[in-house]
Amino acid sequence: MSSIRVLLMCIGSTIFAASDVKAAYSPTALQTEEAMSLFAEYCLDCHSGDGAEGRFDFAKKLQRRSFDATLAFENLITQKMPPADAEAPTNQEQQKMLAWLAGQQKELEIIPFRRLSRHEFVHSVNDLLGSNLDLAAEIPQDRGTRNFDSDRRIGLSHEMLGSYFAVADQMLEHALPRKGFINEQTSVTNKLLDSHKTYNIYVRDYKDGVLFSWTRANNGNSYSFFYDNFDPPVEGWYELTFDAAKVGNLQGDISIQVHAGKYYYADDRPQPQRLLNVISVGSNIVEPRTIQVFLRLGEKVSVHCFHKDNFRESNPTRGAYIRSMTARGPIQDAWPPSRYGMLFGDLQVKTSGERGSERKSGTKSPLIKMPSYRTKLSKIGGSVTVSSFQAGMEKEKMQDGSNRTFWHTRFTPTLAEPPHFVILTNPNRYPISGLSYATWSGGNGNGQIEKFEVYASGDGKNWGKPIVNGDLETRLANEQPIPFPVATDAPFIKFVATQSFSIDGRSLASIGKLDVIVSLDKQLPASQISIVSNRIEDLRKVIRQFAERAFSSQLSESELQPYFELSEASLAHDGNFIEAAKIGFKAVICSHRFLMVPGEHSSEQHSQNAKLSRAIWMSIPDNVTNKANVTIRDQIKKMLADERSERMIKSLCNQWLNLRSWNNVSPSLKLYPRYDDLLDFYLPLETRAYLSHLIRKNRPASELIVSDYSFLNQRLADHYGIDAISGQDLRKMSFGPEVPRGGLLTMGSILKVTTDGFATSPILRGAWLSKNIIGTPLSPPPETVKAIEPEHGSQVASLREQIEQHKNSDTCNACHKSIDPYGFALENFDATGQWRTKYSAELPHRGTFTFRLQGYSEETSNIDAGGTIDGEEFEDVFGLKKSLASKEQKIAYNFAKKFFEYANGIQPSLKQRLYLMAMIESKGCAMQDIVTEVLAYSIQGNVEEEGS
Amino acid sequence: MSKPTRRDILKFGSALPLAIHSLNLRANSSTKPAPKRIMFICNSLGFYKPYFFPKTRGDLTTSDYLKNITVNDKLTIFENLYHPGMETSNHDSEKSFLTGVPKPEAPNFVNSISVDQILASKMGDETRFPFLPLSIYDRGWGCSWNSQGVAIPPLHNVNQIYNKLFGEEDLSAKRMQVDTDRNVIACLREDLRHLESANETSDRSKIETYRNVITALEKQIAHESSWLDTAKPVVTETLNQNPEFAFSTKIENLLRLSRLAFQTDSTRVITLSLDWIYGAIKVPGATGGWHTLSHHGGKPNLLEPLSRIERDIVKHLNQFLSDLDSIQEGGGTLLDHTTVVIGSNFGDSSNHTCSNLPTIVAGGSHRHQIHTIPSKPTPLCNLWLELLHYHDFDLGRFGSSDGNSCLLGVQS
Repeated sequence: MSSIRVLLMCIGSTIFAASDVKAAYSPTALQTEEAMSLFAEYCLDCHSGDGAEGRFDFAKKLQRRSFDATLAFENLITQKMPPADAEAPTNQEQQKMLAWLAGQQKELEIIPFRRLSRHEFVHSVNDLLGSNLDLAAEIPQDRGTRNFDSDRRIGLSHEMLGSYFAVADQMLEHALPRKGFINEQTSVTNKLLDSHKTYNIYVRDYKDGVLFSWTRANNGNSYSFFYDNFDPPVEGWYELTFDAAKVGNLQGDISIQVHAGKYYYADDRPQPQRLLNVISVGSNIVEPRTIQVFLRLGEKVSVHCFHKDNFRESNPTRGAYIRSMTARGPIQDAWPPSRYGMLFGDLQVKTSGERGSERKSGTKSPLIKMPSYRTKLSKIGGSVTVSSFQAGMEKEKMQDGSNRTFWHTRFTPTLAEPPHFVILTNPNRYPISGLSYATWSGGNGNGQIEKFEVYASGDGKNWGKPIVNGDLETRLANEQPIPFPVATDAPFIKFVATQSFSIDGRSLASIGKLDVIVSLDKQLPASQISIVSNRIEDLRKVIRQFAERAFSSQLSESELQPYFELSEASLAHDGNFIEAAKIGFKAVICSHRFLMVPGEHSSEQHSQNAKLSRAIWMSIPDNVTNKANVTIRDQIKKMLADERSERMIKSLCNQWLNLRSWNNVSPSLKLYPRYDDLLDFYLPLETRAYLSHLIRKNRPASELIVSDYSFLNQRLADHYGIDAISGQDLRKMSFGPEVPRGGLLTMGSILKVTTDGFATSPILRGAWLSKNIIGTPLSPPPETVKAIEPEHGSQVASLREQIEQHKNSDTCNACHKSIDPYGFALENFDATGQWRTKYSAELPHRGTFTFRLQGYSEETSNIDAGGTIDGEEFEDVFGLKKSLASKEQKIAYNFAKKFFEYANGIQPSLKQRLYLMAMIESKGCAMQDIVTEVLAYSIQGNVEEEGS
Repeated sequence: MSKPTRRDILKFGSALPLAIHSLNLRANSSTKPAPKRIMFICNSLGFYKPYFFPKTRGDLTTSDYLKNITVNDKLTIFENLYHPGMETSNHDSEKSFLTGVPKPEAPNFVNSISVDQILASKMGDETRFPFLPLSIYDRGWGCSWNSQGVAIPPLHNVNQIYNKLFGEEDLSAKRMQVDTDRNVIACLREDLRHLESANETSDRSKIETYRNVITALEKQIAHESSWLDTAKPVVTETLNQNPEFAFSTKIENLLRLSRLAFQTDSTRVITLSLDWIYGAIKVPGATGGWHTLSHHGGKPNLLEPLSRIERDIVKHLNQFLSDLDSIQEGGGTLLDHTTVVIGSNFGDSSNHTCSNLPTIVAGGSHRHQIHTIPSKPTPLCNLWLELLHYHDFDLGRFGSSDGNSCLLGVQS
């Protein structure tokens, strides 16, 4: 071991200034001679000439002297080579061979900088502004085909910079709005909006509120019921309180899934809504449950209540009872929001508007019962008149927000003569851009309009030519927009039904809903905040403080000059202190000093702080000067303990474990009818909680593979078939050795994301495991080889045979022997991660697909999960895990490489890999130690290794 | 001109009473010939060749996929085109589709400018949008690469694209933002100068890179602001909102938006990347993982659903071409002035091979041959070079081009 350490003393250096690494070491003639004889002894028997094992002619490569040695190096360092049945070199010999390979490896030209990734940008700006607005999705995906967002090969395009500019504007406007803050309001509701007639039987009025059963729609999506009387007036954070209880004898908790989304009435094939959060209710006594959620403009709140035992109980007697929903917001953390103090220091803050200056946070805002308008027409002060109506089917019935009730022309006692029309008035002359029409749903369809004309008039008498005409669909429940070619502000609009459906030829017309399409300028009560200062010195102080935090550097007057001038010009121009500061802030967060990593730092300490916080928090460092004598390792440990490090955990899950592809895959409803939004929500959280635990608690790297615990809740435990537990909070749970869970590779999240949602693919799963966990270097399949994509279905018996064709070809088998067996070992898990012993095949359905709990599938053949890797046989996943966990150093070494790549944006060179392996050999395989050592090495090389 | 009805708008897609009106106005008021336009479409998982290429040379009716193409005298199907140096490529070959740079899977791969970007550099000056990069998914990269070889993120949200093209803007806010951005950029330039002159530590290539990016952004802002005084075209056509076949609807809408953009002369260069992700998609008659199915290995039970997906794509492409051909412009149709290239980075995605890339050129004033099979494998970049020449770019070579193969006979 000591030989490798000595060698490393020479090659260790700062990776961030990677150019130093380049020519640090190259083998001497003696070392080369020695290495050559070792290769000849241990490798070349098999790996030379035309018939070389795995078509890897090592002898030929060695003759060339300069070649990509990565594959040989990795196989040697992980002791994959020489194979188990061949003679292995001694430790010292192995080190000599590795050192030679690393020494001759030509360094790739390393790009010395990179752009800040979109997630780093958004986290940093939020921390700078004291805001919480996740706009990462507004910036295009920025990783290309790279594994890590930090990859230095990803360039910056002006389109990308343009989106940073735009997002910077949005975030600044959200944090420090020019128009002020909309006043907080509280509204209480217990009323649901109309839902489709197929599903509204699964809820009912109960006591003071509503009782819900678990309702999934015919297309399999969660059916969520929308609340009425609450529309978020602006985008922002809201506090939602549900007064709820469990009703009836149901085991464990009931889950209230709170969604947000666009409300479509009469949609019997609902689209998935955005799941905001989950409330777990176990008590039979009504208790308030509060969550904070971010709502976008135009979204409404809906709920879907889940308990596995009350699927679609009509007129339910048990389920979730929600007495009322109280919505408060948009909320601020204090008034004025605390960020004003953070950004403007002790400058005097003045507030004006209804909210005033004195309200303390925490006190209840006034309860405002918002007038509830059924239609936009009534909101703009308009009204309707009709050509005729049938008793019980008056004009109000197409204005009540429901198309179960409708307006109908008179047919008894006498039949109304055409023309049949509706006149809408627009007394306040709003610009109306169209009409929104819906048929009445149900019934025989009589009167549903087929052709129409629309007229506009200034006096309600002279109508002129139609402004638009056309056809409408009958028998379609959805709203049908009728856009006008140009918006009109005419005070009278006439909608004429020129042709309607009629079963008996009578002239009729009916409408379920009719409204105007109009964008409403919301005049909401707002409160302004301003800074009472127009002093340039104050402005400079604010800009300086912000820039020094953002750049992690002390800045000189002259460095700040361009930023000062920009803000001062704005202040001189319109005298608004906050707006002047905002333009300076924008320049700071769009600056190359901020966006091009590494930035410009005034001291080593500043530079170190910036690098560490970028890796661990994906953000800026805290604004505290580091005390002397705090070692880098202490600093890393402290930062890992901070909750911001969860961002790193999430990034590792997304980038390293590929959970970012989570939403690309939806399991087939025919094969996996029990897969639902709740499971989809918690599966990735299990992985995050687990990885977080391994790192924070410094658990051994072998627990990446196997452990006797995981982080579960009621839904996950049920999914995994583990003892029932109550409640949806994730908690650490231990289980016996018969349970295959514990460890990443048997988590539902990983098992799901490595399939296409239908059939499991041993190749995809094997490649995932091989690439991400074991670290076998793989290359893409060569050309002209018939690709094998296994198929399940009728001939599933042959699945294994199909894949095992790989064994018949040396070319395929060179890689696939390190892929397929891993995948086969996981075949006991279906595409959602549930345990199975037999394959299932989809069965056809008749007509339109209709969701049913038992799905549409049949069991087919038995699963054989056995295999051999590197000469070790295993029967199933338990055997595989045991075998992998016994090679802990290999697993730890791979994690160190991956974490190095995450933190540095480059793959470690062979020399750096030698260091990483030596580090693991000396410091052990505990996860936090690896993270800490890799970060310390990334920043300081091995300068802290003195004495070893 | 008689006013089209709403049904006409929905049905025939020609719609846009006002847009057509304004096109007519321009046609009347200007003696200039109709502008040349071009669109590149890359179907990232290719087409199943036995169903794609006509079985009898020159006879479209012998192609399962193309027999129903309505503009059958305004297109040419090419065989035997390939990208040299792409012999062992995987899905990364998509990166080289419009650039021809070999070995995109190599770790030190650096791309170069794509053919659409060369075209846009000149053809883009006269329209509100110099070019439009489009894709199905948010991957951040498609087929367009800038002069630094950096991926240009495509637009993928159809509502956002619609708003960008035709939506109303708050012009005073937009003007204010343009001013702010200009001032911010001036400030950042000043800081770059400062760093350069002062400098000890910072990296010159970093500063240079950033300066290039910010210069390009400045140019874009200048271009945008020059269009602020011109009202956006008014269109009444809406997007298909069918949620059931999201994949199919997305392609339909992207093509509809492309047609509207050409029709209203909002842009003259569009690149559409029909990209893929793992996971199932649904088209009429088939549900499955597009990628999984693409590795069909010749098995009929996988080819069946795959061909339904591919037929669905061809159906939308056909609709797009015939829509373009139904719109009159300057003595011909919009299609006569728009070159539409439909191709793929894969010749056979089942085997990941990149030989014999399925390629169609439709529209434009090319002397269409229906079906052209060069006698030897010919670089696709030869076709790109000819398209550059057709659009008056006097370049000697592009990418891996090896001369003039006269693939397209240009009508004089």
